[in-house]
Amino acid sequence: MSTRRVLLYVAAGAVAVYSGFPVYWMFVTSVRDPKHLFGPPALRPGPFTLEYFSALLGVTDFPRYFANSVIVAAATTLVTLVVSALMAYAVARSRSRGSRLVVLAMLYGYMLPPLLLAIPLFVMFTRVGLADTLVGLIISHLTITLPLGVWLLWGFFKNFPVELEEAALVDGCSLVGTLWRITLPLSLPGLATTGIFAFLLSWTDYTYALMMVSSDARKTVPLGLAAMMGSYDLRWGEMMAGSVIITVPLLLILAFLSRWFVGGMTAGALKG
Amino acid sequence: MLGGRSRRWLPVLFLAPGALLTLVCVLLPVLYAVQLSFYRLESFIGRPAWVGVGNYAQLFQEARFWNALANGFVYSLATIVLQVALGIVIALLLNEVFPGRALLQGLTVIPYVLPTVVVALTWRWLLDGSHGLISQWARALIGANVGWFDSGGMAMAVVVLVSVWMWTPFVSTAFLAALKTIPGELYEAARVDGANAWQRFAYVVIPSVRPVLIVIVLLRGIWMFNKFDIVWLLTHGGPLEATEHLPILSYVLTFSLFDIGGGAAVATISFLFLAGIVSLYLWLFPMEEA
Repeated sequence: MSTRRVLLYVAAGAVAVYSGFPVYWMFVTSVRDPKHLFGPPALRPGPFTLEYFSALLGVTDFPRYFANSVIVAAATTLVTLVVSALMAYAVARSRSRGSRLVVLAMLYGYMLPPLLLAIPLFVMFTRVGLADTLVGLIISHLTITLPLGVWLLWGFFKNFPVELEEAALVDGCSLVGTLWRITLPLSLPGLATTGIFAFLLSWTDYTYALMMVSSDARKTVPLGLAAMMGSYDLRWGEMMAGSVIITVPLLLILAFLSRWFVGGMTAGALKG
Repeated sequence: MLGGRSRRWLPVLFLAPGALLTLVCVLLPVLYAVQLSFYRLESFIGRPAWVGVGNYAQLFQEARFWNALANGFVYSLATIVLQVALGIVIALLLNEVFPGRALLQGLTVIPYVLPTVVVALTWRWLLDGSHGLISQWARALIGANVGWFDSGGMAMAVVVLVSVWMWTPFVSTAFLAALKTIPGELYEAARVDGANAWQRFAYVVIPSVRPVLIVIVLLRGIWMFNKFDIVWLLTHGGPLEATEHLPILSYVLTFSLFDIGGGAAVATISFLFLAGIVSLYLWLFPMEEA
């Protein structure tokens, strides 16, 4: 083997360990017997236990947090898809200059410091009774997912062959029917990418949850896990088990939908 | 195309929900935040009292504000430089042909999809003072405990390195996509002309991907400057405000000290500061029309 080949493999190995090891260690810790958690560390997994998972799910409020996370992420994804698809479609098919402005404004939304949005939103929510509610949290997530959705889907609709739509219209299909039967089904990759990123942003969010939600019954998983880190005795086994539970859905997305995920990133799907 | 009344009101109907949401939940709140920065407000249900530029004058006198501004500058500059450099190296590696390349590419993206809280917890565990794996290795190596979060400089270094770990995949993915667009003949021509690997990188790769690189640095810069969660979860801005930057200062003022006007003022300043830097950047590196 040439020196160049050897160097290539060494670099690849180093990058693999650098990227993957912390995640590996999270998995190993989450199933390691507590007696062996705090001794001299063994890199190999084991001895095996599921007690952190059962403690987390049986004793703590984790199931509640998990349900909240699912509700918030699902609602955010659904609303983002519907609202941004309609908006992006209208903008993409409009000939007026104002529509370009909408897309540009969406891009500037990326520049806003989260606090510049979170502070006034929380003051407003307090006044209308949405503070410390899941609805308030969903609305705050929409402020980040909506610009993303409009931006992404605008890119897809803009390049969609208008001739197909015109053909459907000529054949007597209504405008809404054309959108529903022709444009949306053929834009499935764009919708999938938008949905994945909206879910990802909402599911992993800590910043907005920290500010919008305070009571235990409304916490999402990231908030609940962070609270465990703040408590007096650090239960690393349980914390790593909780981390595994919120990470697994994301790894599944990455494994099975990576085509749309990586494709989306290059199409402008952006996540802080 | 077909005419008819529906063609006129349908676009409006399509735009309405998104426009309304954007207006009520983004535009108005931002304006409200700027307005609040001119008021004294000490509880979320209280009545704001006009203080003019009082909050700003107060901030400019406080060492804590200038400290946060400087820390933010150090944090974003260090994280951007490191993640762009490392991202380019990883992208160049992934652009080579070798068995397991696709698997490695998947592996390198993982840190980026993890929730910030998982990244913070995992690294806190690896660096845990008594039982953390890396702490134990460091102890074996130098014979003493390393207080990762005890000194200001060390805490900042840890926050920077963990941030780089998490966000480098964005750079490597985007850069790799740009690399794929360079025609192979360009490399060949350079090789034939006797250019070595470094020269091919400097005179073929970099000029070809320059527009993409400009956008990558811009986006990463904006995000790193505004980043709140990873720093808060790792250090809470400590020790002794050594890692406190503008987003954390704004959060602490608003949600712990209930100086809501002051917190809004910090957020406003931070936005203006960022807008200024972005304008300067775009003036230095104008973006080509996409």
